[in-house]
Amino acid sequence: MISFYFGRLMEIFPFFLKGLWMTSKIGFISLVTCTLIGFILGIFRSSDSTILKRMVGVYVAFVRGTPFVVQIFIVFFILPEWGVQLEAFSAALLAMAIMGSAFICEIVAGGINSIPKGQWEAATSAGLNRIQQLRLVIIPQAMKVILPPLVGQYVLLIKDTSVVSVIGIMELTRVGWVTVVRIPEGLMVFTLVGFLYFIISYPLILLSNYLEKKMAV
Amino acid sequence: MIEFKNVNKWFDKLHVLNDINLKIPKGEVLVICGPSGSGKSTLIRCINRLEKIQQGQIIVNDTPVHDKSTNLTKLRAEIGFVFQQFHLYPHMTVLQNVMLAPVNVKKIAKTKAEKIALEKLEQVGLTEKSGAYPAQLSGGQQQRVAIARGLVMSPEIMLFDEPTSALDPEMIGEVLDVMVNLVSEGMTMCVVTHEMGFAKKVADRVLFMDEGKIVETGTPGEFFDNPQTDRASEFISKILTH
Ligand SMILES: Nc1ncnc2c1ncn2[C@@H]1O[C@H](COP(=O)(O)OP(=O)(O)OP(=O)(O)O)[C@@H](O)[C@H]1O
Ligand SMILES: [Mg+2]
Repeated sequence: MISFYFGRLMEIFPFFLKGLWMTSKIGFISLVTCTLIGFILGIFRSSDSTILKRMVGVYVAFVRGTPFVVQIFIVFFILPEWGVQLEAFSAALLAMAIMGSAFICEIVAGGINSIPKGQWEAATSAGLNRIQQLRLVIIPQAMKVILPPLVGQYVLLIKDTSVVSVIGIMELTRVGWVTVVRIPEGLMVFTLVGFLYFIISYPLILLSNYLEKKMAV
Repeated sequence: MIEFKNVNKWFDKLHVLNDINLKIPKGEVLVICGPSGSGKSTLIRCINRLEKIQQGQIIVNDTPVHDKSTNLTKLRAEIGFVFQQFHLYPHMTVLQNVMLAPVNVKKIAKTKAEKIALEKLEQVGLTEKSGAYPAQLSGGQQQRVAIARGLVMSPEIMLFDEPTSALDPEMIGEVLDVMVNLVSEGMTMCVVTHEMGFAKKVADRVLFMDEGKIVETGTPGEFFDNPQTDRASEFISKILTH
């Protein structure tokens, strides 16, 4: 019986590959947007401006203090009430960007704050403007602190893409659900799903471990 | 060249600079001394606006430093600042440290900036270290790189905040030698230091601070041999015995 289902599973394997493709697509786009927005917010969060700091602080607290599923529902069901129409794919990307950027913001701000004040002062005295100070002096040093947890966060983001299945996106997890209805071998189906996630996240885990070791010296 | 007019500054309730009036003419070498916490660092950090002031005016070369409209980049390019703890950029080589400001602030072409940077490294005796990273240098060498990094912008003013206090005794001399050479080039210098030998040798004037006030000023001879106030004489006897 099991081998029969296994055969069926292999028949619909292309369906899983489509799911994998969707997961990778959402994952990749999210990593890029979350990183960009996260760095900008992190720079605001570590700035001297109390207003900026507070505003970003509230944003981060909200994101950290609410479940991701709820955030997706807010983006998908509540925004249309206000006249913002989003298809599921865009809503998923937007929700991922909001959630991921908040976590990356904290990592980036932590890295920037770890740089001694004297580095800012030396760069300031040299006549560099704020953006040059960050770009040439502060961020290159902060990357040592930022990179290992950043890549770790990427792994979490990839896994969190599974949550967007709740608004009907045919990514890996939803492919799993849909399949179980037809092939009642939950263990087999979700082992395959898990394995496919693992294929994407494992290289990132290795990279994170490698960076952690390399940055420690 | 540098003028303080009724400058007052507070850190919360602490009155760190109390009605400072001071004129530093072009080419003067001013040594600032005083007990810990008296406001020496704060005083010179206001000159390139590393610190803000709440009252009064500081004028550098006709530019009011603390005006909103002041072009800080231009102002800071004219003022070199050397810190007690060097603050070299650890992720850059010595040469990159020195070239950073000319390339990015003055927009000088890389090849030309490199040439100027190497000249300044030669001036502080560190040409052969241009490819090293700060962590590979001794404290004295790091501080000399920091001086070269300031000089590379061809500033008219150099500010030093206890440049030798973080150094092992055997390295103090090499840094002071570089500074003495600057004096002979006619650089305007404000030096916070307790190095009496340096002050006596090259300072035009010594300024003694206590609790945010300028308590006494005089030539090094007058100040060290014949201080006018009790606080100054007490301070001098302390640095002599230590
Ligand atoms: N950023 C700051 N915030 C609050 N207080 C400060 C700050 N910087 C300095 N102070 C205080 O202002 C006073 C003057 O400090 P300053 O560093 O100018 O003294 P100093 O004469 O340079 O002392 P030292 O010889 O120890 O370097 C000190 O009491 C110090 O604690
Ligand atoms: Mg000081």
